[in-house]
Amino acid sequence: METTHRTEWTLLATPLVAFLLVCLGFPAIVNLIYSVSEISFETLRNPQISGFGNFVAVLTDEAFWRANWFSLRFGLLTAVLECLIGLGLAVFLAPLFKNRSWPIAILMLPLMVAPALMGLMYRLVLHEFAGPVPHYLWAWFGNSPSFLGPNSAFWTLIVVETLQWTPFAFLLFHMAYQAIPEELREAAAIDGATGFARFWRIELPLMLPTLAAALLIRFIDGFRVFDNVYVLTGSGAGGSTTSLSIYIYEAFFKQAAIGKAVAASVVLFVASFMVLYGLNRFARRRRR
Amino acid sequence: MLNAIRWAVFALAAFAMNFPLIVTLVTSFKSAREISTNPGLWINAPTLENYVTVLTVSDRLNIFLYLANSFAIAAMGTLLAVLLALPAAYAIVRGRFGEKTLLPLIVNLRAVPLVIFAIPIYMMFQFMGLLDTRFGLGLVMTIVNIPLVLIILVNAISDVPFELDEAAMIDGVSRPGILVKIIAPVIRPAIVTSMIFGFITAWNEFLFGLMLTTSKAVPVTVGASFFFAASGGGVQWGVAAAVMMVGALPPMLLGLVMYRKISGTMMAGAVKG
Repeated sequence: METTHRTEWTLLATPLVAFLLVCLGFPAIVNLIYSVSEISFETLRNPQISGFGNFVAVLTDEAFWRANWFSLRFGLLTAVLECLIGLGLAVFLAPLFKNRSWPIAILMLPLMVAPALMGLMYRLVLHEFAGPVPHYLWAWFGNSPSFLGPNSAFWTLIVVETLQWTPFAFLLFHMAYQAIPEELREAAAIDGATGFARFWRIELPLMLPTLAAALLIRFIDGFRVFDNVYVLTGSGAGGSTTSLSIYIYEAFFKQAAIGKAVAASVVLFVASFMVLYGLNRFARRRRR
Repeated sequence: MLNAIRWAVFALAAFAMNFPLIVTLVTSFKSAREISTNPGLWINAPTLENYVTVLTVSDRLNIFLYLANSFAIAAMGTLLAVLLALPAAYAIVRGRFGEKTLLPLIVNLRAVPLVIFAIPIYMMFQFMGLLDTRFGLGLVMTIVNIPLVLIILVNAISDVPFELDEAAMIDGVSRPGILVKIIAPVIRPAIVTSMIFGFITAWNEFLFGLMLTTSKAVPVTVGASFFFAASGGGVQWGVAAAVMMVGALPPMLLGLVMYRKISGTMMAGAVKG
């Protein structure tokens, strides 16, 4: 009886498992094999196993570490900025959302736009002749920086990413804030806790799990950024804005360095696996 | 007084976050001449000529093809994800199948940069003739959508009282029968939410569209960038702006219809993720 149940459940889950094995498991194996092979577009079907040369090539490539450094800084900075602004907005503006939800709809609109399209829109916004931002800066201050030049591109991209994804952090904090029981706030008020003290002592601690989740999600998304950076600066701006995703893409499509691209993918795969494994263990211990 | 400040802060935040949308919308209603003389936020002589140009555009840049591609790819990536995830979610919740292995593995997939699978998928697709096909990109969108769809469906099925299953089992309904006749109708709102989420995600995807398509199956996110390179001279900003508005509109409309559901779903995704 028990075993027939087991089979039944297995059958129900089989399509999903099979699909993932074919579409992700197989590519993962291909990645591993190619990463230790001599490989070019001509020899795709019979890779020659050749040891760890590709890994050496990647790990000694200065551009690889520059890309890592960009992704890390980009992910951290945007995650922190988005969470700080999002948290601030969710708490400070909370009374506005009491009986109306349309302001929330307006704030979350950017989340619905494809990051690639958002990036393209900023090409218009920041364009020196057709863009309103340089136009007004010239009119008001008689000067306008080159937003996508080597010196300011990084910060321009930070602002672009932060403005689009702050609503995500805001929404999470908004939900968490609404979930705090009203009695808690009343009790705190009776005890004489006002304004900031109430936020710092009661509301913020209750929202800490949300804060951790929001920081993590936004960091991961920022770290693997591709779309908006690619359409805004590509690998331009003197290579100063090449994220890890863009590095892999370009190694493969622009330089046809398949071995290098695949080895970089494997490094990234192992790194993200280790981070996730560590986080999961940490989360499980916390739950106990 | 404090509330006035709040409204001011809200207005500022809404303006800043939606600024590129506002600029693009305004520019899309300006003639080429006006854009060069007046790049500001005010329109002197509103015109629809950019939209006319976009919708009657040559066969080299075919907005209808891009929109149809995006729609087909997103629809397939959404439907297939739900079809695969629904029975699996049922087995995970009621049969405790892979609750400790399969579920965490798939949930964590959301945090893995999918670019690491991009190259082998490209080569696989080349081998199978799936490059530049809607079907191929639809498969990739299915992968992208599966984690969140599974989380939503697992949560929803967990909330269905077990008594419903039991009653059906006593009546002699089979497991797949219970899933189709009892569970699926009860969690229909969750299924709809997951589909809308999946559709928006797939519509907005760019990296795989860029890599795996060249002409026939180009989605609108990639196609829009073609308008920036088109036609010799400079970019036709008015036309480009109209294209971006058209490409961004479907997910925005879906989002506006659904926004009450969306924050809740994000929360569920974040807690599990």
